[in-house]
Amino acid sequence: MSSPAAAQAASVTSNNHEVILSVKDLKKHFPINSGVIIQRQVGAVKAVDGVSFDVMKGETLGLVGESGCGKSTTGRTVLQLYKPTSGSVAFEGQELTTMKPGDLRHMRRKMQMIFQDPFASLNPRMSVGNIVSEPLKIHNIIQNKVELQEYVEALLQRVGLNPYYVNRYPHEFSGGQRQRIGIARALALKPTFIVADEPISALDVSIQAQVVNLLEDLQQEFNLTYLFIAHDLSMVRHICDRVAVMYLGKIVEIGPTDAVYDNPLHPYTQALLSAVPVPDPMIEKMRQRVILKGDVPSPAHPPIGCNFNTRCPVAVPGICFQEPDPPLIEIEPGHWAACHRVTTF
Amino acid sequence: MGVLMEVKNLVTRFHTQEGTVYAVNDVSYVLNEGETLGVVGESGSGKSVHALSIMRLIAMPPGKIEGGEVWFEGKDLLKLKSDEMRLIRGAEIAMIFQDPMTSLNPVLTIGTQITEALKLHMGMNDKDADNRAAELLTMVGIPDAKRRLKNYPHQFSGGMRQRVMIAMALSCNPKLLIADEPTTALDVTIQAQIIELIKRLRDQFGMAIVWISHDLGVVAGLADTVQVMYGGRIVERGPAEEVFKDTRHPYTLGLLRSLPRHDASTNRERLVQIEGSPPDMRQLSPGCPFAPRCTYKIARCEQEMPSLIPGPGSSAEHLKACWVDVRTNQPLPEAEVVHV
Ligand SMILES: Nc1ncnc2c1ncn2[C@@H]1O[C@H](COP(=O)(O)OP(=O)(O)O)[C@@H](O)[C@H]1O
Ligand SMILES: Nc1ncnc2c1ncn2[C@@H]1O[C@H](COP(=O)(O)OP(=O)(O)O)[C@@H](O)[C@H]1O
Ligand SMILES: [Mg+2]
Ligand SMILES: [Mg+2]
Repeated sequence: MSSPAAAQAASVTSNNHEVILSVKDLKKHFPINSGVIIQRQVGAVKAVDGVSFDVMKGETLGLVGESGCGKSTTGRTVLQLYKPTSGSVAFEGQELTTMKPGDLRHMRRKMQMIFQDPFASLNPRMSVGNIVSEPLKIHNIIQNKVELQEYVEALLQRVGLNPYYVNRYPHEFSGGQRQRIGIARALALKPTFIVADEPISALDVSIQAQVVNLLEDLQQEFNLTYLFIAHDLSMVRHICDRVAVMYLGKIVEIGPTDAVYDNPLHPYTQALLSAVPVPDPMIEKMRQRVILKGDVPSPAHPPIGCNFNTRCPVAVPGICFQEPDPPLIEIEPGHWAACHRVTTF
Repeated sequence: MGVLMEVKNLVTRFHTQEGTVYAVNDVSYVLNEGETLGVVGESGSGKSVHALSIMRLIAMPPGKIEGGEVWFEGKDLLKLKSDEMRLIRGAEIAMIFQDPMTSLNPVLTIGTQITEALKLHMGMNDKDADNRAAELLTMVGIPDAKRRLKNYPHQFSGGMRQRVMIAMALSCNPKLLIADEPTTALDVTIQAQIIELIKRLRDQFGMAIVWISHDLGVVAGLADTVQVMYGGRIVERGPAEEVFKDTRHPYTLGLLRSLPRHDASTNRERLVQIEGSPPDMRQLSPGCPFAPRCTYKIARCEQEMPSLIPGPGSSAEHLKACWVDVRTNQPLPEAEVVHV
């Protein structure tokens, strides 16, 4: 079933055993409240509903799936920007979910985030220099003013911005340059782990490759580990060592990138990949697409049975509608899928 | 196939407090009946403004169509009185947008909005219009159409709203559908649904389509002809397969090289990036707008905009506006000629 290339890719990653982040059965449910005077909880949006994965040191793990499937919430809950409903997040061996606020603040230096919309995430009233040096001031890393300025200018230079612009404001920059400012800010504290939440989605096509190349260069240079959240599956194949596919708050497939792309096991992954257009008219003419029916159900009311059964083109009557949502099972080394058809038939 | 529309030397500008924005600069092309034209280019390259100019939907002021002609069925649309244009819009030429809410009225039911157009353009009575509206919703794949007609726009998902827009756009059998990034805000599985739908309707009705997108993949799958815009100009244009396989403009080439592919595993090599950033549209350079970022640039590129003509050995329909032969990285003969 598995191609030699896929098996090889899988063994390459499983040899690398240094886990930097370990997430176990993580849940984040947002309460739905109702009532005018006395608010009471009438339900919950199960934005993240039992997600487990490891991230190895120095690798890039991609998190893909359609909007609303819980990618951003996963990223934020991992970083403890949202308090998890339940589950565990261990970073460099230390449990974050039960950590005291002071200790957590210290850990945060090592874990940073890059956002999709560089404009919304940068304070419009702060100069670029202040934006980039703010984390250093908060954590009281460099006291000497001259040293601080030199450090900030070196950082700007490193992300491809002219240090000459240190006193300018975010609105004076293009989208691509603003994303570079966001990256410089994330790098300021010399983190080891970065959650990049759709860092190129808002950028022009001709700028996307610039930013991706920068992220890859920085990864090499500073031995960074990335959780790369994206919906552009082509870019994910390029940048990620492994990829996790999310649907309705759960991971439905995870594995080495080539294995998942060349041999997708879950029908959702298959449909997702088949939906991505290829910039080649000849190939597009020949392609047979799996077109999914309808929309993603609401995470407040997930389906009974398998989460994917309302859209699954190959759902089996009975098992896929009556049995509980299938768990992730390792089908080939390092390549896991959550589907009754893959595991039972 | 006959000519459906001819755009000639279209020039549209915005006169703002920060200066003049040179949004569309001398755009000319011919669209045949039943042809699907894909217009690609990054944001700000003039794709939308060019389409809105054809539809005469540019906000004036600050916008102004400063020159050009748009010939459609023997009439220059730019010279029509506004009430004449109103009859063309919706009936002969329909347009759909990235955000359907820009053209849907949030306080009217979908049914009211579709039947209004049918009554205005097709002269239908209430009952016929109601029936036709339900038919149209069914045609675009909205289940339970009769009941859904009574719903308001917010009661539909993004993908369903785009289907409603398509139903409305096609309600009067237009000869031309202009689609401005209609799938950009949608997830890829929903995008695939909409593209599938458009292909089916195109086969059924035979309308011509101008499909605007920044996604070269989407255009590759849909378009007969591809037109690449940069800095408010057409820089390359031709049959889709030629533009993708025998690319002749450095910008098109740069875009195609910078795109990773999900269907190829030799994918970890560093991406070939286009340096620099898109042009400031408040400057109208005499030369090629891509010159500052171009690795093939020669001196002439910054002095004079090259004409949009076939390159050596390419078909008569495949045009490029470039002084250089990108296959050899040598200036073309016309670049050596000096006008006195
Ligand atoms: N702060 C919040 N309060 C309530 N619901 C939320 C909140 N943030 C996200 N959600 C919901 O959780 C689900 C997952 O959202 P998100 O993680 O942003 O998805 P993605 O990043 O994959 O698009 C969505 O249904 C979204 O509406
Ligand atoms: N109403 C307006 N006022 C001023 N400038 C505008 C207006 N609409 C568009 N522009 C400018 O015209 C240029 C072309 O825009 P547009 O056609 O929307 O680009 P595209 O659709 O290719 O992204 C851009 O520089 C844009 O900022
Ligand atoms: Mg998100
Ligand atoms: Mg546009």
